Amino acid sequence: MAHIFAVGGGKGGTGKSFIAANLGVMLARQGKKVVLVDLDLGAPNLHTMMGLTNLKTGLSNFLNKSVKNLSLTSAPTKTPNLYIISSLRCSLEVGNLFYAQKQKIIRAIWQLPTDYVVLDLGAGTTYNTLDFFLASHQGLSVFTPEPTSIQNTVQFIKAVYLRKLKHILKQHAFATAVKEVGYESDDGVVRSPLDIVDSVMRSDPARAKLLQKELGKLRFKLILNQYRKHMDVTLGNKIEKVCNRHFYSQFQFLGNIAYNERVYESIIARKVFVAKYPYTPTSTDLKNVANKMTGRNVQAPTLKETNAKV
Amino acid sequence: MRKFEELNHYQIFGIPINASAFEIRQAYKETLSIYGNDSPISYSFFTEEESKEILDRVEEAFSTLIDQEKRELYDKMLVHDKKIDPSDLTKKKQKVPTPLFSSKTPSGAAISKTIKKRIKDKDLKKTKEAILSKDMISGDDLKQLRQTVGIKIEDLFEVTRITVSILEAIENDNFGTLPSTVYLKNFLKAYAKLFEVDPKKIIDGYLKNLNHIKGTS
Ligand SMILES: Nc1ncnc2c1ncn2[C@@H]1O[C@H](COP(=O)(O)OP(=O)(O)O)[C@@H](O)[C@H]1O
Ligand SMILES: [Mg+2]
Repeated sequence: MAHIFAVGGGKGGTGKSFIAANLGVMLARQGKKVVLVDLDLGAPNLHTMMGLTNLKTGLSNFLNKSVKNLSLTSAPTKTPNLYIISSLRCSLEVGNLFYAQKQKIIRAIWQLPTDYVVLDLGAGTTYNTLDFFLASHQGLSVFTPEPTSIQNTVQFIKAVYLRKLKHILKQHAFATAVKEVGYESDDGVVRSPLDIVDSVMRSDPARAKLLQKELGKLRFKLILNQYRKHMDVTLGNKIEKVCNRHFYSQFQFLGNIAYNERVYESIIARKVFVAKYPYTPTSTDLKNVANKMTGRNVQAPTLKETNAKV
Repeated sequence: MRKFEELNHYQIFGIPINASAFEIRQAYKETLSIYGNDSPISYSFFTEEESKEILDRVEEAFSTLIDQEKRELYDKMLVHDKKIDPSDLTKKKQKVPTPLFSSKTPSGAAISKTIKKRIKDKDLKKTKEAILSKDMISGDDLKQLRQTVGIKIEDLFEVTRITVSILEAIENDNFGTLPSTVYLKNFLKAYAKLFEVDPKKIIDGYLKNLNHIKGTS
């Protein structure tokens, strides 16, 4: 089974697609086979970050059943070992997936014959996005240092956490607690899921242990993108600290990725950034993050240890 | 909040039981940069009530630990409740206190500043003149500049953000691993500017020397 990374985070424009594309290149350069999957179905642009225009196949072929095997819809990129499954042509029809379609995609992704899969997710906290994020081994949450971006990332983390929490509660029939989890307000803003675990602990201490254990399997990685020199270098570490303190899941800050004006130029030139501008702090940062993602300190989890089950 | 409420005063600050008053103050400041009212982190994570609850605990922890008498009482309580081992209280201090939220790379901006100052303060006139009088300039010449100031190659990285492997390749004229000329020129320029020598002369001299080595090896 492939090791799956999902790139998410609440806000649009933080650099999720940029990071998915460039980490894909870095992972492929580690000598592994990598498949990028664009799951921002409403606004796919991962192929643009890779400098690709004329993609003949993609997820749409799989969804309209003209191709049975998802891996056959992948296209090679300019980087050896790196393939892409684009959602280029599905945007209009399948912006909103049906439950069964979503499960089908997730199962097919798990079976891709490759070493790594990198999922590029859309902004926001729709169930589709959350479930794709939860289907990964490591969920990468990308944010920038602006207060609004931090806020959206925290909202995203809470939404993922809450969704996972609900899955666990349902799966293990925590009947009384499930009611209390109706914690979302009408506008979909997540209130504090921090207190949900506490309330289960009060009402059902015996099973609170199980809940903690299950939540503990959820692994978040944090990436701070568009980092500029004068900013607090420890911001990411601080957020990691707070997350680990207040949630029962595992959080790791992978590092800052420097802002670079040439990102724009690389897109216009139809080249993936790390290939066009290898000797920049941004490229070094991306390489370091990729190393951390696959480094010796990260053990490959067994099948049971993915963030979710289908 | 339960998870946070279970932390003892030392854990709130992430400091050892035998932390000094200095370390406590330092950690308190750091903690406020996360949980304080003007922190974007606290603002994003917590409701107003949660935030207030946390800050109250932080304040309580600080006022207890910073007061010798209160702290001793508190320590006794922790020992009594078997939360800590009494031997922890008398344990020898670690040589390097581990700050609460140290990032993996120490604050680049601060390091960069001190290094730049060191270069400014050093009289490099003779070394520079010797180098600029040459027709061909080698990596060894550049290295000499650095060594005269007495800074490490890692320090250069902090200021220029040129990776250590490239800096090493430059200083060793290791043309096999040097980047393409476009990049190399940029790196040499950054190197020269840092030591305040004419970038153009350095680039020309260096490339000339490099071509010379390539031609003879
Ligand atoms: N490190 C960076 N430095 C400079 N610009 C960046 C960086 N990361 C992303 N960008 C720019 O930000 C924009 C949004 O990036 P994108 O990856 O499309 O965001 P998302 O997928 O999160 O919506 C892009 O136009 C890209 O050029
Ligand atoms: Mg995107």
